Amino acid sequence: MNFSTIGKPTIRQDGYAKVTGKAKFADDINYPNQLFGLMVRLPVTHAKIINIDYSEIENHPSIKGILTAKDIPGEKKIGIIKKDQPIFCEKKIVTPGDVVGMLIGESEQELIALREKIKYEYEKLPVLSDSSKALRPDAPLIHPELESNLIIHHPLRKGDIEKGFSECDFIIEQTYTTPHIEHAAIEPETVIAIPLEKKNSVKLIGSIQNPHSARNVVSSVLGLPLNRVRIQQAELGGSFGGKDDTMNILSARAALAALKTGRPVKIRYSREDSILESYKRHPYKMKYKVGYNKDGKIKAMKIDILADGGAYASMSPFVTWRTVVQATGPYEIENVWTDVRAVYTNNPYTGAMRGFGSPQPIFAQESIMDEIAIKLNKRPDEIRRINGLRIGSITSTGQQLENHDVNLIKVLDTATEKSDFADKWKINRQNSKTINNYQNKEFSAKQEKFLFLEKSDFIPSENLLRKGIGLALSFRGCSLGAEGIDAAAAYLSIQADGSAYLLSGLAENGQGLKTTFSIIAGEILGIAVENIYYLEHDTGIIADSGPTVASRSTLMGGGAVKVAAEIIRDRLVELLRSEWDLQKEEKIIFKGEEVFIGNKPERKITFKQLGNLAYNKGINLSTIGWYPGPIVGWDEEIGQGSAYFTYVYGCQVAEVTVNTGTGEVYVDRIVAVHDPGKVINLMGAQGQVYGGVTQGAGYGLWEEITTENGSIRELNFDQYLIPTSKDVGEIIPLFVEGDEQFGPWGAKSLGEPTLELTAAAIANAVRNAVGIRHFSLPLNLEEIVLKRKLSPLDLKRGSAL
Amino acid sequence: MIPPIEYIRPESLNELLTLLNKHNGDAKIFAGGTDIVTGLQQGLSRFKKIKVLLDINHIPDLMRIKKENGNIVIGAACTLSDIINDSMIKEYFPLLISAASGIGSVQIRNRATMTGNFVNNAPCADIVPPLLVYDARITLQSLETSREISLENFLRRPYQTRIKTDEVVTTIKLPIIPTNYKGDFYKLGRRRSVSISRITLAVLMQIQDSIIKDIKIASGAVTPIGTRFEELEKYACGKKVSDEFYKELSLKMGKHVLELTGLRWSSAYKLPVVQQMFYQVLKRIHNSIQ
Repeated sequence: MNFSTIGKPTIRQDGYAKVTGKAKFADDINYPNQLFGLMVRLPVTHAKIINIDYSEIENHPSIKGILTAKDIPGEKKIGIIKKDQPIFCEKKIVTPGDVVGMLIGESEQELIALREKIKYEYEKLPVLSDSSKALRPDAPLIHPELESNLIIHHPLRKGDIEKGFSECDFIIEQTYTTPHIEHAAIEPETVIAIPLEKKNSVKLIGSIQNPHSARNVVSSVLGLPLNRVRIQQAELGGSFGGKDDTMNILSARAALAALKTGRPVKIRYSREDSILESYKRHPYKMKYKVGYNKDGKIKAMKIDILADGGAYASMSPFVTWRTVVQATGPYEIENVWTDVRAVYTNNPYTGAMRGFGSPQPIFAQESIMDEIAIKLNKRPDEIRRINGLRIGSITSTGQQLENHDVNLIKVLDTATEKSDFADKWKINRQNSKTINNYQNKEFSAKQEKFLFLEKSDFIPSENLLRKGIGLALSFRGCSLGAEGIDAAAAYLSIQADGSAYLLSGLAENGQGLKTTFSIIAGEILGIAVENIYYLEHDTGIIADSGPTVASRSTLMGGGAVKVAAEIIRDRLVELLRSEWDLQKEEKIIFKGEEVFIGNKPERKITFKQLGNLAYNKGINLSTIGWYPGPIVGWDEEIGQGSAYFTYVYGCQVAEVTVNTGTGEVYVDRIVAVHDPGKVINLMGAQGQVYGGVTQGAGYGLWEEITTENGSIRELNFDQYLIPTSKDVGEIIPLFVEGDEQFGPWGAKSLGEPTLELTAAAIANAVRNAVGIRHFSLPLNLEEIVLKRKLSPLDLKRGSAL
Repeated sequence: MIPPIEYIRPESLNELLTLLNKHNGDAKIFAGGTDIVTGLQQGLSRFKKIKVLLDINHIPDLMRIKKENGNIVIGAACTLSDIINDSMIKEYFPLLISAASGIGSVQIRNRATMTGNFVNNAPCADIVPPLLVYDARITLQSLETSREISLENFLRRPYQTRIKTDEVVTTIKLPIIPTNYKGDFYKLGRRRSVSISRITLAVLMQIQDSIIKDIKIASGAVTPIGTRFEELEKYACGKKVSDEFYKELSLKMGKHVLELTGLRWSSAYKLPVVQQMFYQVLKRIHNSIQ
């Protein structure tokens, strides 16, 4: 197919305003007479609330209101699956981010000072911070009414696991762990609620990932019908899955305050507030047992994964469901036995974050694949070719892969060829041998027990830096899969001068969706992206299309836009046929702002004239396109079924330099090969890869939220380190396009695949460089040199160092 | 959130000194603001008493870098970017350039001053070790007095110096050293920019006929504040250079660090690594001389 714009680079519509500082983010929007809301929290992690005494400040002229749980007319607790999270805590708090009340006033400065005068009475409760102790009978219960700390258990049973292990030549067992991760969007949370003149209705504008989800929460908390709550999205300064639950809750608090005071109320979080209260990516503990034969064929895999859900269930059941589907990695394995559990603790709660339950198992499973390869004296790419999914393969959930190009081996081949993987891997491995002994025997052992080197520990300067190369491979289910209803809407309206309005029910999250959707509509109608005005997202004017998550926007929202554009195009074609008196078989082409007959291009009309003609003929030039996802099925008992209606495939190769003296790892180059189905905006797709790889490198090397008795230590970016542009070398995005029946021209998912592979590829590259396997992310300085993490707590715990 | 604070921008040194005298104890010098603004935002106790900020960015006397009687004299309001871009400093004090270039980001270096870096006296202040090996002396002025002391004497404890409440640092004086001194500045951070140092080292060496004629050694971030290792320097002077000797000196360095710092949670990592990287620095300087 010969496209005008699809697959070519298009500059994003909001790019200029954002890089010049002109874009209006939520905190740039102010209303006359507006008030601010300030959160009240207890200085503890887990406690029974006895009394919170506001008497010293409640009559202060600067206080325009104090909100607590008692002020909530509707649902006091919310949650997408389990309604366990209070808008304001009433009886107890279960994590330091918990909020017991909100002060409302004209000056944040004054509110901060007045907050100091609140008196708290509480009874401390034992703190559960180690997820592996959560299911013990003596563990403190986070939500006693639920009678267990188990949030969810997803089992998966395929084949006969015991028979599988008994029939293989070798068995390997390893345990991997990953940390809490912060989304670290550049813009912290902000929302402003405006009471409307119609009684009991409210409008909100905010940095909201999913305006319709926020509306559902606000309406349930306010006890109002959905149509009394209208939510607009401001320009979003990044989300990465992080502006969902938190923003829904803040929206509810702001809306309550606006209706109570009758004035606009703004809540804006500092970075510290944001990191303290917002949810994180789940830390996982992952035990893998893999049985394989001499020829490299994997026969059996037993996986036991424990996810720290923290204080509230949030998205844990969905996040861990994706994990159970994808935990074996993209390999065809006869016998699989997987258990994935999420548990409550007093840690910060965990929910959706870019990757959504895949970066963790990919780190474990791709590390193990390399270990198996090394044991069998094969290369990492060889072991993956032996076991990788192909067309007709059966996944661990019993789903046969068909009806789309299963490009797993193709992305692997492309990535390894472009990076010269096989040769580099062998050479690095030979060079790593000298370092191997040194690291294992002398260096790391000595550093743990002794603080002083011996003369033989000094590294000859020429051996200080070691090169490594590593790869990681994945398949990923597209969109929501069996976890939810999957459908999306798009509104398209052509004006009398041929210009167009466009809006979809999926919200821009900074990924460039407005531009992608405009390209899709423009391609069908033969008009330039500049002639399409993408409207502001508003729940009052567009249908609920589910959340902007799961890398589903291009696939589902793009699908809806294409449907809408085709409806309009067909109406225009019909008009032209009658105007020009054409036969059915004469093809009408929309291209370059013109509409003409395929074999008689001189018979033409400009799109602008056509718009005018249609308008004057009374043709309906507005429509809603609707794109429902295909049916998927799932058996919860055994974890079997067609989990997702289609999949994407990706392979990343990381090249690193490791400083064996200091443990520094520098990412020299990442070759990222992805099959997103069809690329719509090449520049947008490349941008996804650059961002995803950098974020994935952060997961691999630096990022970690640590807690002390449930309290977060890294509350700002001086402690929580994300990579800068100097920390990651060249990133080379390559796209392998595959045939696909779903999505616009077969466009599927890209956002999350770009992130999920990088940390695993880096860990394998480090293994290649220094001959040592690391089992715990991030691979920071101490992890590389000492094979463990150090923290300021270590001395207090009374350990020797 | 930053509390309301009075901000004054004097146009001359005399005006500044008068204001310092008037607001004695309540005023803080404001140069780049990269420590003060973030510190106020965090509500740090050492910034709690501030009622007045005196901005020194418009006092011409404090903004110059000049050559004077065998010294380079740097005004206290000179930013890190000023230092990096100065040709005299590039020629005579290259370690200062490499330390300054590694601090923060371009935006921070355009605001932050070299003087602010050592007056704040954080353990990890990158500029301190090179200034120490260059034997920097600083001038402190008040309305009535003016005195010159060595930087080493000026720095007391983490975040504490010998500055009096009515004094301001006006200049830093660096004596120009013979060109046969070779040196290196080393910084280890967790990332490659906008990174708080885990280890810093500054070393200057003069080798003649394979004998160490002179050596100056300073560290930061592994010691409570930036520190010169005079005992180690004395031990090394007059010794014949060899790979073996560099290893021995590095092991001794580790022992001194442990003595000065005591056991910290980070010792298991930092102590072996500082020995290793000190050795690498010595080798690098040695190779640059050969």
